[in-house]
Amino acid sequence: MESNSKILYLDNAATSWPKPENVYKAAENYMRYLSGNPGRSGSSSLEAERFLYNAREKVASFFQVKDPSRIVFCYNATDALNTALKGLLEPGDHVIYTAMEHNSVLRPLGRLRREGIITTTMVPCNYEGDIDLDFLEQSFQSNTRLVVFTQASNICGKILPYKEIVELTYKNGALSLMDAAQAAGSIPINASEVDLMVFTGHKSLMGPPGTGGLYVSEDIDLKPWREGGTGSHSDLDHQPPNMPERLEAGTNNGPGIAGLVEGINFIEKTGIYQIHEHENKLTSHLLEGLSDISGIKLFTPQNPSERVSVVSFLLEGVDPGELGDVLESVFGIISRTGLHCAPLAHQALGTYPAGTVRLSPGYFNTIQDIDYVIHALQEIVSLKL
Amino acid sequence: MSTACYFTFPTTYNALRAEKVLKETPYSYRMVPVPRSISSSCGTALKCSCPEIEEIKGLLIDANVEYEEIHELEEKQNNFSLKALFKKGKDKDGIE
Repeated sequence: MESNSKILYLDNAATSWPKPENVYKAAENYMRYLSGNPGRSGSSSLEAERFLYNAREKVASFFQVKDPSRIVFCYNATDALNTALKGLLEPGDHVIYTAMEHNSVLRPLGRLRREGIITTTMVPCNYEGDIDLDFLEQSFQSNTRLVVFTQASNICGKILPYKEIVELTYKNGALSLMDAAQAAGSIPINASEVDLMVFTGHKSLMGPPGTGGLYVSEDIDLKPWREGGTGSHSDLDHQPPNMPERLEAGTNNGPGIAGLVEGINFIEKTGIYQIHEHENKLTSHLLEGLSDISGIKLFTPQNPSERVSVVSFLLEGVDPGELGDVLESVFGIISRTGLHCAPLAHQALGTYPAGTVRLSPGYFNTIQDIDYVIHALQEIVSLKL
Repeated sequence: MSTACYFTFPTTYNALRAEKVLKETPYSYRMVPVPRSISSSCGTALKCSCPEIEEIKGLLIDANVEYEEIHELEEKQNNFSLKALFKKGKDKDGIE
């Protein structure tokens, strides 16, 4: 096949693209017409603050949280995870996490562990991404403070059995932190079922990069991880005690949040079930097509209720990086290859250290897009490109 | 001498919650920068008419809006009152 100029974006698990038109417009409008600094006195900043207030209400209602002041805007999921982990954990705490976690969980925990502040236990997963619930149950100690788990794997798309995880966590008197970066916007989430929940704006919520946040239940007081101006209690030399200001310092990403609101509006208008169904259809079609190609090994559950729209695979005897390169340079297909920032998950799946090729369809992809990918891979296999 | 009343708040978030509660009511109010004679945690205050203070207080309490204090201040009539210099500053609600 000749190289062509077609670009087929199938890396929505990294960041969704394209965005709904109103997302672009809202970010621009914010900068043009709303750029007062929220929380600082003056009527233009009051307008910006009103906007932020409504955005907080929108996010809270989307995640079924009653009190919007418990929603903290952060700069991405990594930032929100650092805010949660470093704001909560104290010397002597024990933390349980799963093998499916992203480096945004593994690295903060790793540092706290290396510095002797916390101890940790990792719950293993099998090669299909199932976590070992019996192992989890046996991992609790008297000082277990927190169980942190991803709601859905960014590698194989597997949805973790979060209800069971949360139940075991409560039974053992620990707190639950759910990383919903991969799932938020793609499956309905009730944040009030956990103690802490992290989301990102730029994936399935269809918002701009640089947005995300944290839900903190009313019983938890996190130590501020980032400190600075809030526009309130300006006489104090420390963060104010009140939420959400306590955990939000410095000028926020107003244009990003404006875009995020429009991303959520798009999801609400379209219907989250509608979106999920469409993505499921694409993912099922892709899995079906790939499983017919000899030499392809899949790492994503076939059952739609067990996964989000993420497909990981390998082609026998071909380096995943090289395959991704051919997909892009010859066929214009954008995939993501390698370890996807989750080395332990690849160890569990048996794909470490080379990783996999990941294709992640989004709401704006079509069945024709998926057919094109399948044909491309058929051609690669037949020509041994 | 006319007076105006001011609610102060611990956070802008609460000031805006108050605004949202009052938006649905016939009461006159305005969100204003906190006058410098008052000390407040947050820079935005709710200015309203003093005879209506009890009703407004009741609404805020019912809606669980956290406020810090209520102040009654004399409206400045001296030469240094910027508002007096710019009489157009009167808004549609009648709260200057």
